[in-house]
Amino acid sequence: MSTDLSLLSAALDRVVPAIGDLPGAGAMGLAEVIVENARQDRRFETALKTVADALPDDFASLDPAAQDDALRNIESAQGEAFGLFLDITYSFYYMRPEVHERLNWHGRAPQPEGNELPPFDDSVLEIARQRAPLWRKV
Amino acid sequence: MTSSNGKSDHTADVLIVGAGASGAAVAAWLAEAGFDVVCLEQGHWQNPDKYATLDPDFDFQSMSKWSYDPNKRGLPEDYPINLDDSPVTPVMFNGVGGSTILWTAHAPRFHPSDFRVKTLDGVADDWPLTYEELEPYYDMNDQVMGCAGINGDPGNPPRAPRPMPPLPIGADGLKLARAFESLGWHWWPSDNYINSIPYGEGRDACNFCGHNNLGCVQRAKASTDLTYWPRALRDGAELKSGCRVSEITVDAEGRASGANYFDQNGELQHQQARGVVMACNGIGTPRLLLMSTSDAHPQGLANSSGLVGKNLMFHPVAFIGGFFPEHDPEHDGEWVGPMANILMSQEFYETDPERDFVRGYTYQMARGLGPAWTARGGFADRAPWGEDHHRTVQKRLGRGLGVAVMGEDLPEPHNTVTLDPVMKDSSGLPAAKINYTLSENSRKQLDHAIENGRKLMQAAGAEEIVVNPFIQESGWHLMGTARMGDDPESSVVNRRGQAHDLDNLFVVDGSVFVTGAAVNPTPTIQALALRTAEFIATERTDLKR
Ligand SMILES: Cc1cc2nc3c(=O)[nH]c(=O)nc-3n(C[C@H](O)[C@H](O)[C@H](O)COP(=O)(O)OP(=O)(O)OC[C@H]3O[C@@H](n4cnc5c(N)ncnc54)[C@H](O)[C@@H]3O)c2cc1C
Repeated sequence: MSTDLSLLSAALDRVVPAIGDLPGAGAMGLAEVIVENARQDRRFETALKTVADALPDDFASLDPAAQDDALRNIESAQGEAFGLFLDITYSFYYMRPEVHERLNWHGRAPQPEGNELPPFDDSVLEIARQRAPLWRKV
Repeated sequence: MTSSNGKSDHTADVLIVGAGASGAAVAAWLAEAGFDVVCLEQGHWQNPDKYATLDPDFDFQSMSKWSYDPNKRGLPEDYPINLDDSPVTPVMFNGVGGSTILWTAHAPRFHPSDFRVKTLDGVADDWPLTYEELEPYYDMNDQVMGCAGINGDPGNPPRAPRPMPPLPIGADGLKLARAFESLGWHWWPSDNYINSIPYGEGRDACNFCGHNNLGCVQRAKASTDLTYWPRALRDGAELKSGCRVSEITVDAEGRASGANYFDQNGELQHQQARGVVMACNGIGTPRLLLMSTSDAHPQGLANSSGLVGKNLMFHPVAFIGGFFPEHDPEHDGEWVGPMANILMSQEFYETDPERDFVRGYTYQMARGLGPAWTARGGFADRAPWGEDHHRTVQKRLGRGLGVAVMGEDLPEPHNTVTLDPVMKDSSGLPAAKINYTLSENSRKQLDHAIENGRKLMQAAGAEEIVVNPFIQESGWHLMGTARMGDDPESSVVNRRGQAHDLDNLFVVDGSVFVTGAAVNPTPTIQALALRTAEFIATERTDLKR
């Protein structure tokens, strides 16, 4: 698939805009990552192509409000493809350590570290235990 | 690949089709009892050291190659499912361990009343067995799979102690528990087949990564590749993975004689056997029985009643969530831990004549799973794109909790699994086609649960309440399509799981369910499978050479 990366980047900057010190998803270089990964799954590849093809050629030079209008048009005409485009965008955006840092999230894959929780504390059942049996005897 | 003592090309005592939750349990029992067991499984072994949660892009993988929707995964070992006429998407995994590779491992039991639905409520049918008859097999299964939980639940009958203490419910669990209590409603810590302490061979304790809907790197979540299969293989069972069965074959008398299957190279082979056990789940089993037509069984195997593939039940699912923006993780404790498997409520489980529906539902608590999941709308709708995006994610991340509603779906003959006339799997075999409509009774259950769910979230102090009235990708539980009963005209198998039409064919997966209760089915599936295995081992020694 050949996708116009600069056009896609411009779209990504509107989809997940810059915040604080963080650039938007496009300026972060996500277009290439998304295109590359979508190749692993035909559903995402097709959706990405549908959205990219529907972007007007002059999208990058439009003002932000017009860009949002263009994206909204694609969203209403190609709802499913646009949804998958958002899913893959969010998945890879929220994989970035700098994004995790801004959100005060741990910034790593779920394993192997996992999380810590204190063991089960029996005392939380004090009230629940007082309930009379509510299952039906047969 | 063959995992075994190297036997092949021989007549097995028992051929098991499917290496998932039920097939593995039967294989272990029969191999220990000295039966010559062969299992054919269309999928492959998984390596827990390569599961997606170790990769930074795990979230994308959960939507693609590790999706639990086989139509999305689209691997050669998956078979397509035509869903044009189903609002529910069935989900599963095809490989050694079956759907337990991706399940979340809730391990509740049916209630005694679930086996007596007709007598008590005048709907559907009674089971041909009782809770008490199944109880010892539930207990055995809890030991092998490893149940973490605690006795004393007023919502369920007293039972043998679980082998492990419950998983911690966390600060969010406590918040919801207190909300249940403030309304005077039942709650109890979930029973889970997830290790709260190291348990079983090479199986560590859960480290609360959260993503127990993906394969478990810690091996803390029980999947049958880790629990029953090592035992079965040690006792001499042969497991041929990458082998897709295309037909159960019959002899001149119309009794099962083995199966035709495509091996790993796509070559058609035959496995001879004296008895056959179907363990392909509530969709795979009727599919294969319907594909197995012969002069003796022109409507498909074991289908003289015409009920193979009928009465498909799912558990209809709705979700009610709440966001608590004032929650301060540093001060109040982070809301982390398994995505579900925390606590449940069965306040509205049993039939209440005051309500406008019969039977009832369970609430199961769920928690959030991190930034990507939150943005993709794990609890509610997808976070908006554009200027509002960051605000929404920030508000929701780590500050959401909710309850999934699991309602009891009653059996209806028009809810079916049939063979699709057009779609084919990678071996050229017909895809499954689902026809399903949500019944009025189920819809009323869900609506009742949503109303009460809102009250619950309010009691918990949620600032924003979100509702998903019907989750499409919720066909986790596949039941009813080869139901059990005493009457050969109104059921496919008898109380032992043995086909009425041919005495050496057995069904051990959720297909045999008469009704579906309002809890996750796998402990019941496995208990029934163990019971059938015991029957074969003790009463069908004629199958053993
Ligand atoms: C995401 C998810 C979450 C779940 N969570 C829970 C939970 O918390 N609690 C609970 O109780 N249940 C849960 N379930 C359901 C649970 O996994 C199933 O009930 C259980 O695994 C069913 O066991 P089974 O043996 O009937 O079928 P499966 O475990 O699905 O195994 C069937 C096997 O048969 C094989 N097969 C099918 N057709 C053929 C063929 N033609 N040839 C060869 N092999 C074939 C398949 O490849 C598969 O491996 C969940 C399921 C999913 C997908």
